[in-house]
Amino acid sequence: MTDLLLLFTQQTINGIYLGCLYVLVALGLTLIYGVMNQINFAHADFVTVGAFAAFFVATRWATKWLGLPDTTGYLLSIVAALGAGALLGLVVNAAVFAPLRNRGDELRPLIATIGVSVLLENGQLALFGPIPFQFDSPFAQHTIRLGRIFFSQQSVLVVIVAALAIGGLYAFMKFTFLGKALRAVSQDRETAGLMGINENFLIALTIVIASALAGMAGALLGPVIVLTPFAGASVIVKAFAIVIIGGFGNMEGTIIAGILVGIIEAFTVQYLGSGVIDLVVFVLLLVMLVVRPTGLIAERREENV
Amino acid sequence: MGALLAVEGLELAYGDVAACRDISFEVAAGEIVTLIGANGAGKSTTLRGVAGAMRPRRGRILFRGEDVTRMRSHERLLAGIALVPEGRRVFPFLSVRENLEMGGFRHRGDKAKVNALIERMMDTFPRLRERAGQRAGTLSGGEQQMLALSRALMSEPVLLCLDEPSLGLAPIIVQEIFRSIVAINRAGTSVLLVEQNARYALETAHRGYVMQTGTIIAHDTCAALKQDERVKEAYLGRK
Repeated sequence: MTDLLLLFTQQTINGIYLGCLYVLVALGLTLIYGVMNQINFAHADFVTVGAFAAFFVATRWATKWLGLPDTTGYLLSIVAALGAGALLGLVVNAAVFAPLRNRGDELRPLIATIGVSVLLENGQLALFGPIPFQFDSPFAQHTIRLGRIFFSQQSVLVVIVAALAIGGLYAFMKFTFLGKALRAVSQDRETAGLMGINENFLIALTIVIASALAGMAGALLGPVIVLTPFAGASVIVKAFAIVIIGGFGNMEGTIIAGILVGIIEAFTVQYLGSGVIDLVVFVLLLVMLVVRPTGLIAERREENV
Repeated sequence: MGALLAVEGLELAYGDVAACRDISFEVAAGEIVTLIGANGAGKSTTLRGVAGAMRPRRGRILFRGEDVTRMRSHERLLAGIALVPEGRRVFPFLSVRENLEMGGFRHRGDKAKVNALIERMMDTFPRLRERAGQRAGTLSGGEQQMLALSRALMSEPVLLCLDEPSLGLAPIIVQEIFRSIVAINRAGTSVLLVEQNARYALETAHRGYVMQTGTIIAHDTCAALKQDERVKEAYLGRK
């Protein structure tokens, strides 16, 4: 009995760690959908760019050039990936999304996100080649032991960073004028404009926040995934499933769904084997689509963000 | 300088279909002007054009002598034009207080001013104070209209545009809303009022323009319009 409880606790902890990684990726998707009613197919590549930025900062610049310790280098690389994601979001919005959006048609910006995705993947392929990079986190080797439960320092770090990001985002949405304006834009864009809110500025801000989160997720995912120019694709499908399960555009739903999928994945690995993870997640997605197509938090489905 | 708002030869279209054409009218400082007319006459469209929610296909809009035709809605708000949209359009998932804050978005750098304005709105409509923390979507129609009106006033507009403020409300609430509109006007804000209920509109406003199938067919002082046979027959009903 105690063994079973122990196993249950251990897998729940593993699941929360995984779920936090997914949430960081999925939040950006849901934010952009909530505010702009648009799906960003390039989101996965923002994750990849973040992972590569983190890789070079952690394994080259910070440690080899500046001579910082591994751990500081990795922490610094998380911040760098956040910045790289934000910067990329800013540039892509200004160069591609904003000019298309102002022409007032919805399909072209959507297709453009696919174009940006192709551009980023092949750009990185040209720069870094197809061979996977070895990106080790110095925190992954240290295990923390609590009684008979084990977890790595890396998983603690991931949970802390995710909690900070979610908490920060929540406080921003709830307590600042700009955050409230973002919610107003997501609820009624035209009326928000009539309040003197510049929707283009807020859309740019949304993309920057979403991309920054994606970049940061890249730094945390880098040591877990196979780091190639196409790395983001391995998590984005699951992130899409999470966003749908949580209710497209619903932040709270996305967070709950992300953690839930993480936990389900951990238990699937324990009892069914890692080969069927995607099967289980997508069966869950299909069941959700049939039973509750509006997402987990159905009664609040109209609240985006 | 001339009029506060001067609309010249305005044409607005949804896609290829013109909803109103060759619209010209003026609002002088301190005035309440109403656009009346049947459903689908183009009143709301005209008002949306003035507030910048729609871009005109032709014509000019001058506000305080400045050409605002090309300005987007958030820029027009900064210029001093606020709109209470048709159907109220409160932000349903923001609280009443947050809705008011959004109305005062232009003052976001000055928290004390926003709070003072919110206090003033809540003094005018105590119901809003009772429901300050509640989601706006859960309010009754009348409360939402009070909120939409207060929200527009939060920006301290020079010209307040109101689109069908009586729509779907009980007569007693409508009276309260129209009393507030008069009070707002006495306090120095000019008002452009679109209203299907011509009786209320002509009682409240100083001058009126009559719209029919997308154009203005008559304009005069409200006192004169009330005596106009066409207006009487079409909008006021015979006594």
